Amino acid sequence: MAEIILKNITKEYENGFQAVKNVSLDIKDNEFVILVGPSGCGKSTTLRMIAGLEDISDGDLFIDGERMNDVAPQHRDIAMVFQNYALYPHMSVYQNIAYSLKIKKIPKSEIDQRVHEVAKSLGLEELLDRKPGQLSGGQKQRVAMGRAIIRHPKAFLMDEPLSNLDAKLRGQMRVEIADLYQRLNTTFIYVTHDQTEAMTLGTKIVVMKDGEIQQIDNPTNLFSYPVNKFVAGFIGTPTMNFFEAECAEENGLVVLKTVAGRIVMNDAKAAKLREGGWIGKKVTGGIRPEHVILSQDGENTVFSGKVNVFELLGSNAIIYVETEAGMIVMNTSQVQVYEHGDKIALSVIADKVHVFDPETERTVTN
Amino acid sequence: MNTRYSDKSPLYLRIPGIVGKILILAAASVFTAFPFVWMVVSSLKTKADILNTDIFFPSEPQWGNITGILFNSPIPKYILNSAWVSLVIVALQIVSGAMLAYALVFLKFRTRKILFAIVMATYMLPVAATYIPSYIILANWGILDSFLGLIVSSTVSIFGIFLLRQGFMQIPKGLVEAARMDGASHWRALWEIVCPMTKSSFITFGLMNFIGTYNNYMWPSLITKTSDYFLVSQGLRAFFVRDGAYGTEWALVMAASAVVVIPLLILFAFTQKWFINGIGGETGMKG
Repeated sequence: MAEIILKNITKEYENGFQAVKNVSLDIKDNEFVILVGPSGCGKSTTLRMIAGLEDISDGDLFIDGERMNDVAPQHRDIAMVFQNYALYPHMSVYQNIAYSLKIKKIPKSEIDQRVHEVAKSLGLEELLDRKPGQLSGGQKQRVAMGRAIIRHPKAFLMDEPLSNLDAKLRGQMRVEIADLYQRLNTTFIYVTHDQTEAMTLGTKIVVMKDGEIQQIDNPTNLFSYPVNKFVAGFIGTPTMNFFEAECAEENGLVVLKTVAGRIVMNDAKAAKLREGGWIGKKVTGGIRPEHVILSQDGENTVFSGKVNVFELLGSNAIIYVETEAGMIVMNTSQVQVYEHGDKIALSVIADKVHVFDPETERTVTN
Repeated sequence: MNTRYSDKSPLYLRIPGIVGKILILAAASVFTAFPFVWMVVSSLKTKADILNTDIFFPSEPQWGNITGILFNSPIPKYILNSAWVSLVIVALQIVSGAMLAYALVFLKFRTRKILFAIVMATYMLPVAATYIPSYIILANWGILDSFLGLIVSSTVSIFGIFLLRQGFMQIPKGLVEAARMDGASHWRALWEIVCPMTKSSFITFGLMNFIGTYNNYMWPSLITKTSDYFLVSQGLRAFFVRDGAYGTEWALVMAASAVVVIPLLILFAFTQKWFINGIGGETGMKG
């Protein structure tokens, strides 16, 4: 259990490249924080700085109020699970799990008891005598977690722990990690580039890009109120549709005019657009595929075009439509089969439309 | 690739290759083994037999030559000197070499590359060029002509640093990081994680340097003059010239040489698997 505070942390390499830029983050006790972003966004570097495996070039790191910048990793009382598990190949599963306790000179009988407890909770009891080379990916992952859990550390750091597993196992392990978090009641910091993991596991998600934090929020807010186009596009699958539009005022209503139609803004959004002086200007609109609907009559059509790809997923279908405004993706639960080239008219749920500044890409309607 | 001799070819096509290989290897073995065999055979001859080039095997084995060397000569003492001095030197070389190799591979510091370049540059230096400065240093410290001087002057092996570094580079950095997160100091990570995974590099290093030190002649003969501190090669030479000139007692000289080689042969017999592994690769684990 720990409170971890990052204050203006920067990581600059010898060649001048800044992997992490001025990152500030408050991680409270028992939070499950996810650092998410595309490759090279600095999320792993941030985690490794918290672990002590990378030096901090600038800024301060506090763990439970104590400045930790110059404290060696072994004195930070933090456990870490690595992407490729990093199990010691010459030690058995038992020895791998017990290693940290052995270093702490904990009596053998207690080590034995704790190893068996952890092994039981992770379903590893049968495998204690095996060497890592004889384990499957999922089993190795469990051993890596066991090695972290047994220490009762202040915090768990996980660096893309599931990315080496196949899709099915990944789903299963995700549930196990969520369960572990509930049981252990401690702070988790988890790095991933997989937004499903981020959305399902995290209580707080930190979206990063190019070494900078884009947004820190809970999963719901991140999905519904992204602060900029990058976050809007990064969170959610299929990704949000973006289109060019002009903001205009018609009969006292604020509307977004697209190539093929118009979207009437609700009062809250209209007020923001007026306040920001966006009337008469070009904006970037955004709508998630699940908020794209079929246009019932010509009146409310926003996009029209031809079906390019139709993917039936069972309970829902994803339809890629080639429109004048570019490719628009619709995710619908009203499954109706389309053929390539079928004409289709689309509308949107107006309340769910996001509006971005085309230059700064910041959301203007939040 | 020449597929003619591959396992998939029929046996009759492979036979010439196999026979050729056996012949070449046999010839090479004869060439390398002959001096050794000659030495052993000669150690059992009388002086007259040795000087008679018409006979190769002794007319009557002179076991007394060997027992004389074992029980009535200073040779066993020299072997003991060599053995324990080499052991201490190799132990120190392993510790110093492993620490430096660990730093070069797993630690990040600004001068890492320069440090490695300097270390390798000293490897290029002819050993003879270091004799005089080393001699002066030992003289200033007052440890010439002593075991301490022999040991202190050989505590670091550049070859060993290089060999271990190559071995360590095969180990995923994540393993050392995991050990650090588990609470291990660098010292523990080196000996409990890195060392067991590069066992063959360590064994190769230990064996080669043990043999090198055991057989070393030039440097020990420069800094020691009291026969109490002689290592085998120097002791052998002293034994050769004991009676004023070379070759007075050829049979005994051969017997002494044979006895001196025995410890190394025993060592090699038990460790040849590691020797070949360590030189030929297979040193690390893949992550």
